[in-house]
Amino acid sequence: MATIKTMKKNAVTAPLSEISVLGWIRKNLFSSVLNTLLTFVTVYIIYTTLKGVWSWGIVDAVWVAENRRECFAINVDGACWAGVIAWLDNIFYGRYPREELWRINLGIFFLFMWMVPLWLPRVKAKISIGMTTVFLYPFLGGYLFAGGEKGIFMQVMLTAAVVCLLVNTIHSIIGVFSGRSLPEFFASLSNKKNICEKTQRNIFFGFLAILFVLIYVWQMSWNVERVPWTKWGGLFLTLVIAGIGIASALPGGIVLALGRRSRMPVIRVFSTAFIELFRSVPIITVLFMATTMFPLFMPQGFVLNKLVQVIIAVCLFNAAYMAETVRGGLQTIPQGQFEGAHTIGLGYWQTMGLVVMPQALKHMIPNIVGNFITVLKDTTLVSIIGLFDVLGMLRSIGKDLPWLGLHIEPLVFGAILFFLICFTMSKYSRHLEAKLSTNHHN
Amino acid sequence: MAQTNTQKTEKNREQLVSAASGEIIIEFVKVNKWYGDFHVLKDIDLDVHKGERIVVCGPSGSGKSTLIRCINNLEEHQSGSIVVDGITLNRNLKNIDHIRTEVGMVFQNFNLFPHLTIIENLTLGPIWTRKMPKVDANDLAMKYLERVKIPEQADKFPGQLSGGQQQRVAIARSLCMNPKIMLFDEPTSALDPEMIKEVLEVMIELADTGMTMIVVTHEMGFAETVADRVILMDQGQIVEENEPGEFFNNPQHERTKLFLSQIL
Ligand SMILES: Nc1ncnc2c1ncn2[C@@H]1O[C@H](COP(=O)(O)OP(=O)(O)OP(=O)(O)O)[C@@H](O)[C@H]1O
Ligand SMILES: [Mg+2]
Repeated sequence: MATIKTMKKNAVTAPLSEISVLGWIRKNLFSSVLNTLLTFVTVYIIYTTLKGVWSWGIVDAVWVAENRRECFAINVDGACWAGVIAWLDNIFYGRYPREELWRINLGIFFLFMWMVPLWLPRVKAKISIGMTTVFLYPFLGGYLFAGGEKGIFMQVMLTAAVVCLLVNTIHSIIGVFSGRSLPEFFASLSNKKNICEKTQRNIFFGFLAILFVLIYVWQMSWNVERVPWTKWGGLFLTLVIAGIGIASALPGGIVLALGRRSRMPVIRVFSTAFIELFRSVPIITVLFMATTMFPLFMPQGFVLNKLVQVIIAVCLFNAAYMAETVRGGLQTIPQGQFEGAHTIGLGYWQTMGLVVMPQALKHMIPNIVGNFITVLKDTTLVSIIGLFDVLGMLRSIGKDLPWLGLHIEPLVFGAILFFLICFTMSKYSRHLEAKLSTNHHN
Repeated sequence: MAQTNTQKTEKNREQLVSAASGEIIIEFVKVNKWYGDFHVLKDIDLDVHKGERIVVCGPSGSGKSTLIRCINNLEEHQSGSIVVDGITLNRNLKNIDHIRTEVGMVFQNFNLFPHLTIIENLTLGPIWTRKMPKVDANDLAMKYLERVKIPEQADKFPGQLSGGQQQRVAIARSLCMNPKIMLFDEPTSALDPEMIKEVLEVMIELADTGMTMIVVTHEMGFAETVADRVILMDQGQIVEENEPGEFFNNPQHERTKLFLSQIL
C-alpha cells in the first residue's frame, strides 16, 4: 500500500551516491577490500563468459553454408547458424504446405488485429473484446489453419467471427479518435438529441444483422484447401496448443474454483475431485493417458485425432491448476465485499462477476501469467508423444542428413525464442498490474 | 448544540406518537440464533414501526451486530420468525434478494468496492438490480453524493478518500437503492473523532427525512438526539428498551445502569 504524498519541502541536494555514476560505483562496488575483490572476480567471470559466447555465437559463427561439413570447413570454432537458418520455415511452421503459409500468417495477423484494441487506452468495452477473442477467434483461426469443407455451424460461426472482427476494428478506430463506443457513435450520427439507450441498441443490432448477412453470402463461395493436422508443426503448433490451453485455462479455472466453493455438495465434490486428480499427476502422464486411454472410453467408431486429444488434455490439466490459483485469489477478498454486494441486492453471479472476480483477478495477475508461461513451456512435452512442435522440429535438425549432429545451435535458438516470448509475457503482466492498481492507500 | 438537542427531542416525541401508531415494518418473534453451541440471540421480540429510529447499544459481544444482520439475512436465524416489510424471512432466495434491495446497510469498515470509482460504487446497485439506465443512475448517484456533501469526489477511488468520506459514500451507496429501512452497524467506530462528526451529521439529516433506521452505536449523543427508542442488549437478550430520555435518566435495569456508568 504505497502512500502517495505530495509534500513540498525545501529541496535538499541528494547525497552524491544517489546521483552520480561514480558515487554509485564507489558505494556499491568498492566499499571495502572484500567487495572490491568480489567485484573484480565477478567482472572477470562475466567477461570471459560473454567473450566466449560472443566469439562462438557471433564472431566465429557461420551464417551461410550448404551443410554442416561446409560450416566446419569455414570455421570449426564457431556456431553453425546456417543450419538453423535453412530450417527456419520448419521451425516456425512445421511441415505445413509452403504455398499455404499465408493462411497461418493471416490468422496470426487477425489475432493481433483482434487484440490490439485491448492495449489502446481510449477504447471502451475491453472485456467484450477479450471475451470475443476467446470464444469467436478460434473459429476464424481454426478454419484458416485447417481449411476444408465448411458445415453449416462452421459457416455461421466463421461469419460471426468475421463480423465481430470488423466491428471490433471499427469500434476501436472510433474509440481512439472520439473516445466513444460504436453504439454511442451511431446514436450521435442521427441528429436526434438525447437518443435513448434502447434506440441506440436497436440501430447497432440492425447494423450487425446487415453485416452478418453480407458476410455470410460472401463466405459461402470462399474455401481454402484442407491441411491435415499431421502437417501442422513447429512454433505454430506450439502456439496453437498453448494458446488454446491459455485461453481455456482461465474460464475453466474460474468455473472449477467456484465449483469448489459451491454450497451444493455434488458440484463441490466433483470440482474438488477433478482438481485434485489432475494436480496430483504429471502432465506427461496426462498426455499419454489422453492419447492412449482416452479413445478406449469413446463409443465405437468415434475417432478423435491425436491433436484434439492432446489439446483437451492440456486444457483440462491447466484448468485444474488455474482453479487453485483462482481459489487463492478469491480467498484474498474479505467477507465484507460479499456483504457489501449483498446489501445492494446483487445476487450470487452479479456479486462474483462485478465485485469479487475483478478484484481477485487483479490480485492474481502475477500468478495467472506465471501459469500461462508454464503452459507454454509445458507444451514442448508434446514432442515426446510424437507431435512435431517447435522442440520436436529443433531436435530433428540434427537428424537431417546435411546437418547431422547439429544439436547445440538449434537448442540455443529455441532458448532465445522461448525467452523472448516468456519475458514479454511477464513484462506485460507487470505493466498490467501497475495499470490496474487502484489501491492508492488503505 | 444543547438547544437544538431539546428541540429535536420534542420533535421526536411527536414523531414517536405518530410512529407508534404507524404500521410495523420489522417484526421479530421469539428469534433464536446459535453459532455452533453458542447461543447468540435468545428469544428476541422486537417490533419496529415505519419511520422509527432505534439505537441499539450494549457491551461488546452481546449480539448487536448479529441482531441487525438478521434483518437482511446476512445471518440466518434458527428459530422464531422475522418479518420485514411484509415478507417472512426463510430459505427462499428470491425473498431474500428482494428484502436486500429494500434494506440498506452501512458497515463499520465501509465495505466499498475498491476497484470501482465512487460513482461506479453508487450506480452498481441501481444499474444491476433496479435495471436503471446508466444516465439516470449517474444522476441519482450525484444527487446522493451532494446530499452527503462530496460530489467533487465522484471520480476518485475509495482508497483515495478519508475514512469519514468513505463512510459517507457508503451511506450514499445504500441510499441510491432507495431503501425503506437503513441499518447501521457501528458506522463511526473505525473513524477519527473529527470524522465522526461529519458522518453523524449526515445520519441526522437522514433521520430528519423520516427514514426507518436501526443504528448500532456507542455515540450516546446521537442516541439522545435522534432515537425514538434505545435498546440495550446483553448476552443475546434485549435487557431494556425505552425512549431516550427515560433510558438515560431513569434506567430501570441494573444492567443498564452498569452499562451507562461505564460508557458515559
Ligand atoms: N461467525 C461467527 N461464528 C461464531 N461466533 C460468532 C460469529 N460471529 C459472532 N460470533 C460471536 O457472537 C457473539 C455476538 O457477536 P456480535 O458481533 O453480534 O456482537 P456485537 O454486540 O456486535 O459486539 P461488538 O460490539 O464487538 O461488535 C460474540 O460473542 C461473537 O464472538
Ligand atoms: Mg458488532
